[in-house]
Amino acid sequence: MAHEIKVPRLGWTMEEGTFLEWLKRDGDPVKPGEPLFILETDKATQEVEAVEGGLLRISPSGPKAGDTVAVGAVLGWLLAPGEAPPVKPPAEKAGEPPRRPEGAAVEEREPLRALPAAGAQLPAISPRAARRAAELGIDWTRLQGTGRGGRIRERDILAAGAAAPLSGTRKAIAERMVRSAQSTVPVTLAAHVDATNLVRRREELKASWSAGRAPSRHDHIVKLAARALKDHPALNARWSGEGLAPSKEIHIGIAVDTARGLLVPVIRDVPELGLQELAERSGGLIERARAGKLTAWEMQGGTFTVTSLGGLGIDVFTPVINHPEVAILGVGRIQGQAAVLGGAVKPREMMWLSLTFDHRAVDGAPAARFLDTLRRLIEAPEEILKEVLS
Amino acid sequence: MARREITFMKATLEALSEEMAKNPAIFVLGEGVGKRGGNFGTTTGLYDLYGPERLCDTPICERGFIGLCAGAAMTGTRPVVDFMFSDFILDAVGEIANQIAKIQYMSNGRLKMPVLLRGSIGIGHSSATHHSGSYYSMYAHFPGLRVAVPSTPYDAKGLLKRALNCDDPVLFLEHKSLLAAKGPVPEEEYQIEFGKASVKREGGEVTVVAIALMVQHALKAADRLASEGVSVEILDPRTVSPLDTEAILKSVRKTGRLLIVDESFAPCGIGAEIAARIAADGFDDLDAPIRRLNGLHAPTPYSPPLEAAVIPNPETIAAEIRRLLEE
Repeated sequence: MAHEIKVPRLGWTMEEGTFLEWLKRDGDPVKPGEPLFILETDKATQEVEAVEGGLLRISPSGPKAGDTVAVGAVLGWLLAPGEAPPVKPPAEKAGEPPRRPEGAAVEEREPLRALPAAGAQLPAISPRAARRAAELGIDWTRLQGTGRGGRIRERDILAAGAAAPLSGTRKAIAERMVRSAQSTVPVTLAAHVDATNLVRRREELKASWSAGRAPSRHDHIVKLAARALKDHPALNARWSGEGLAPSKEIHIGIAVDTARGLLVPVIRDVPELGLQELAERSGGLIERARAGKLTAWEMQGGTFTVTSLGGLGIDVFTPVINHPEVAILGVGRIQGQAAVLGGAVKPREMMWLSLTFDHRAVDGAPAARFLDTLRRLIEAPEEILKEVLS
Repeated sequence: MARREITFMKATLEALSEEMAKNPAIFVLGEGVGKRGGNFGTTTGLYDLYGPERLCDTPICERGFIGLCAGAAMTGTRPVVDFMFSDFILDAVGEIANQIAKIQYMSNGRLKMPVLLRGSIGIGHSSATHHSGSYYSMYAHFPGLRVAVPSTPYDAKGLLKRALNCDDPVLFLEHKSLLAAKGPVPEEEYQIEFGKASVKREGGEVTVVAIALMVQHALKAADRLASEGVSVEILDPRTVSPLDTEAILKSVRKTGRLLIVDESFAPCGIGAEIAARIAADGFDDLDAPIRRLNGLHAPTPYSPPLEAAVIPNPETIAAEIRRLLEE
């Protein structure tokens, strides 16, 4: 039910005040007791708290900072998710103080009044999308849907979530990070790896590449990680309501940094994909992630995640497990370094790998064995590398 | 061991023959089931194995022999009534709906009714409107009947075996266009429980519930769509009564979209029942309206081009899935 937000009477004699600023943004969820806006009277400047909760909708005809506002003027509404603001202002015109009987005691604060739901034209929304909007705290009433006749679908909510970081993607990320932190026992292992062969192989591939996006270093590592997971299935699993479920399939999530925040689209059945196919898939997913066009399906079902901060000059870090998965691989910078090889100091392309695993699901030794297998794969002679990366 | 592949018909024949060998109370009754071996080969070779007493040819009198079988079942035998075409079962519906489906209830469970009623369903052989019906929706309407509509040789054998080991009356409906289809069937003994759907293909973007031949068509449609990057999950309920609602809900929870492909008529059909159940219990999971794709609500034509035009095929199913994804 829509609750009006009115200019309160802050003193016995107050008839008007100066509106200074909103403390929440249009569309923000507001809880009762949270500061909503700042009002200045001749006596004081005061933060006005919300009496009710809901999503804030600021009235388009409301005051700008510094405007004089009359007691009782409607500044906006607090709405239930999916609810439309009333089309018309209430019976008393905005800006006009409510009448009160002569001599009657005036309340300190005008109670917020509920309005009957107005018959505004709302866009159609699927039940699934409405549920998702409620979960993410997204106000969908002004979205343009991509379904038939403009119906809002789940993907539209996810796209809107990506477009409004604070209320959407940011909130979703925050919830997922907290869930991971609260429900996993993360341990991070780091390994120093000689990636010279991999770098060389990739450069050759890139030079001979004719059309489309050549497989990136990240694609190579995703492919090799999938190969290593085959030998270490304990790290390729998901927690479910019933407990730990190892997955037959290897679906690898790739962490993508977008303008709206971190998104993790999933490359399905990685072992079944050739390197070129994998590069096409990951290229498409990254492009759609950056454009906010990933579907829900494309962001679900991962069994392992690979994240890379190497491009930003990071060597070692402690990636956060993408719960309910049980492990995540962090890929560090590849850098030319002096390494001892066969008793001689040689320039090599070195890289750190950081593996965070959930100690509830896997012990340290098997996790270390997985990382060692991956290290060996990356360091494998070119002929072997070529075969694994076909 | 190499996987053995046999036809749908061979799978059901095996099931029937194996059970008849084990259980002398099973007998088959119908038109041409004896020396002729059944119109569709459903009893091929059984006459020589089990003799005329257990493979009884009848005159054309469905209402009469269904009554005989109901009585026989009450005395402890297991009649298998082979109607050739499910269209002819209609002539026996009075006994089926009024006696066979009710007698266990009316006798407080003292009388059992282990009758197996089988007949072919489906359009596609220029058999015209008296030999092309499917009617499973109608039987699913009555409490007390179990209705199996398998789509693979494996399912056919497992469900027929189950039917011959249960005390309830079972309608076992076989699609004509599936009878020659081959598929893997293990040599080992197995049964398939009623009311357990089978995921024929896993996918993530849309759930297709398909029945009998439509399962095979939907699989072809899904193959085509996979090359367009569309991920389709296909569910075969295998029995329309009992219906595995939970499996469909589970799939829709994942995909958010449901298409029901059913060759039989849409009005008051099993698709409507599935749609109603999912709308009631899976409403919040739906990202699009539930859609149905059915055969046309019309008597089946004889002309092959017209016949092909009235039922869904892989192209029309793929088109309907694309439309649903646009919703």
